[in-house]
Amino acid sequence: MPVVQTEKLSKIYNLDSMPVHALQDVTLSIEKGEFASIVGPSGSGKTTLLNMLGGLDMPSSGSVWVNGRELSGMGDRQRIQFRLWNIGFVFQHYNLIPVFTAWENVSFIMLLQGRDKRAIEHRTNQLLEEVGLGDRKHARPAQLSGGQQQRVAVARALASEPRFILADEPTANLDTKAAMNLLDIMARLNNDKSVTFIFSTHDQRVTQRARRVICMVDGKIVGDERHER
Amino acid sequence: MKTLVILAWKNIWRHPARSGALLAAAVSGLWAGVLTIGIMNGIHELRMDYLIRNELAHVQVHHPEFLSMGYARHAILEHERIMAWMEKDPRIDSAAPRTLAEGMLHSPVKASGVRIRGIAVDSESRLTNFHDNMVEGQYLSSDGQFPVIMGASLADMHNTQIGERVVLVFDDADYMLTAAAFHVVGLFHSPSKTYDNHTVFVRSRDLAELLAGQTVYHEIAALLYDRNDAQTVTADLAARFPEIDASTWYELSPVLRTLLDIGGFASFFITMVIMLALAFGILNTMLMAIFERIHEIGMLLSIGMARARVFLMVLMESIILTLTGAVAGIILAWISIWHFSRTGINLEMFGRGAQEIGWSKIMPVLDSSGYGMIFLIVVVISISASVYPAIKATRVNPVQAVRERE
Repeated sequence: MPVVQTEKLSKIYNLDSMPVHALQDVTLSIEKGEFASIVGPSGSGKTTLLNMLGGLDMPSSGSVWVNGRELSGMGDRQRIQFRLWNIGFVFQHYNLIPVFTAWENVSFIMLLQGRDKRAIEHRTNQLLEEVGLGDRKHARPAQLSGGQQQRVAVARALASEPRFILADEPTANLDTKAAMNLLDIMARLNNDKSVTFIFSTHDQRVTQRARRVICMVDGKIVGDERHER
Repeated sequence: MKTLVILAWKNIWRHPARSGALLAAAVSGLWAGVLTIGIMNGIHELRMDYLIRNELAHVQVHHPEFLSMGYARHAILEHERIMAWMEKDPRIDSAAPRTLAEGMLHSPVKASGVRIRGIAVDSESRLTNFHDNMVEGQYLSSDGQFPVIMGASLADMHNTQIGERVVLVFDDADYMLTAAAFHVVGLFHSPSKTYDNHTVFVRSRDLAELLAGQTVYHEIAALLYDRNDAQTVTADLAARFPEIDASTWYELSPVLRTLLDIGGFASFFITMVIMLALAFGILNTMLMAIFERIHEIGMLLSIGMARARVFLMVLMESIILTLTGAVAGIILAWISIWHFSRTGINLEMFGRGAQEIGWSKIMPVLDSSGYGMIFLIVVVISISASVYPAIKATRVNPVQAVRERE
């Protein structure tokens, strides 16, 4: 069963009373363990598709299934709860809680899930080690570099043990070294632990590492290639 | 919940200057407000205590028609039984009977309308502190013939001095005009000039003899150990002696009633002004905090934080911030009131005016229910003022909020 799939997904925005077709009949299926990137020029619908896959936005028509459950059939409260347990997010601007340390940022989502305190401590330490920040766990976001913050964000996304992770332009604000470091970590997690990653990006560094590249133009999928890496 | 409290606490200190300003406003506002209410209560207590301890007492008994008609014949028939009952009642500290008449005071220079208060010297001295108001001569005693004490200002008006005689004229119990000469033995100076100019004190036995040729009392005043018992004591008196009219100090004195009502309203008004200012402070601070953190709230909603938890988080920030300030302010006020209730606030700085009305020192007072009520109002206000920002936070669209930063 695919972890996420869409069926004739369309999204129409009304800008100044003019309908804008952000997505048009997008049908897509992502299997567990994929390392997929959605590429395309600005305005092609990458972020809109990612928002739909994450249940952050609702389609005008069509449907999204995550692990066999249709998101559009859920209410707002249900979708938030569903995201908490099933979907991980990595944002372009990291979006960490600035008053929390790296450790607190990672553990926070597990506290929201109501997990056992000892399990949270163990998993948080483990995740921070995995992203190479075991020695910076008491640092606040402002004390970390952009690359380090994004690695904390990856650890946070993994913390809830989601079915897949959505990463919107994760390397856009990183220099090459930090971006490559981040991609190495994500590729390792994908290889070793079959973590499913779906990126939206127009960064060639990401595209070159992806095993599947979905190309979008004007809200439509115009290409879907798989690569052996 | 613990996580939300920790997050709320950390969020508060994200902008120490801004939170500190609101905290300082809450502390100083509550401190000043509670202390002001305490001082006002102290002034009311002072005024109330003065009137009760100098004239009114807590409970008074009259013939049912005396207060409205004022005739000498409207005397209390069962005064002995009532006095005996009062002496036995454990709620009553002391009681004194009074003989009263309205009349004219004549001196060689002029005549003035006066209320003549005939007192039983010993029991009246136990009941009231009026003897402390003597400024010249001496208080009434059982010695001498027809002694009278009068206000110093009234004596001035009549160009009368200690040892001289004045004539009191009044209607007796048969409505016959009666006159008698009294010797001025003392002059008093009370906080009320009006009272001084229209009141004279004589011995009850002298006045009763002139009014009716026998012992008559028009008023029995009783001082209680606890003024809150006044209502039950009057009810008991009315039940036991149906032919008399028993009233509490609150019913008898329109001045005290007005003072208490105004005091209550003023305290409420002060509290509400402070609370309103606090509410706008909270609203402004929390709205600013929400607008600044809109992308962060969007992220929290994205990763799966329920809107109800976002609502609670904002509410907690506001409540923690306000209550910290309020508790500190109330504790400071409590310490100030405790301190000044022991040392008193000296009113000499306000000149002789305050002293002339008997307010030399104010002892601020606020009971635990007063503190509790103010604290409760702070809680309600802080919750109410943060509901709107909290709702605003829950309505954040995560997609737009996260995108706004880009």
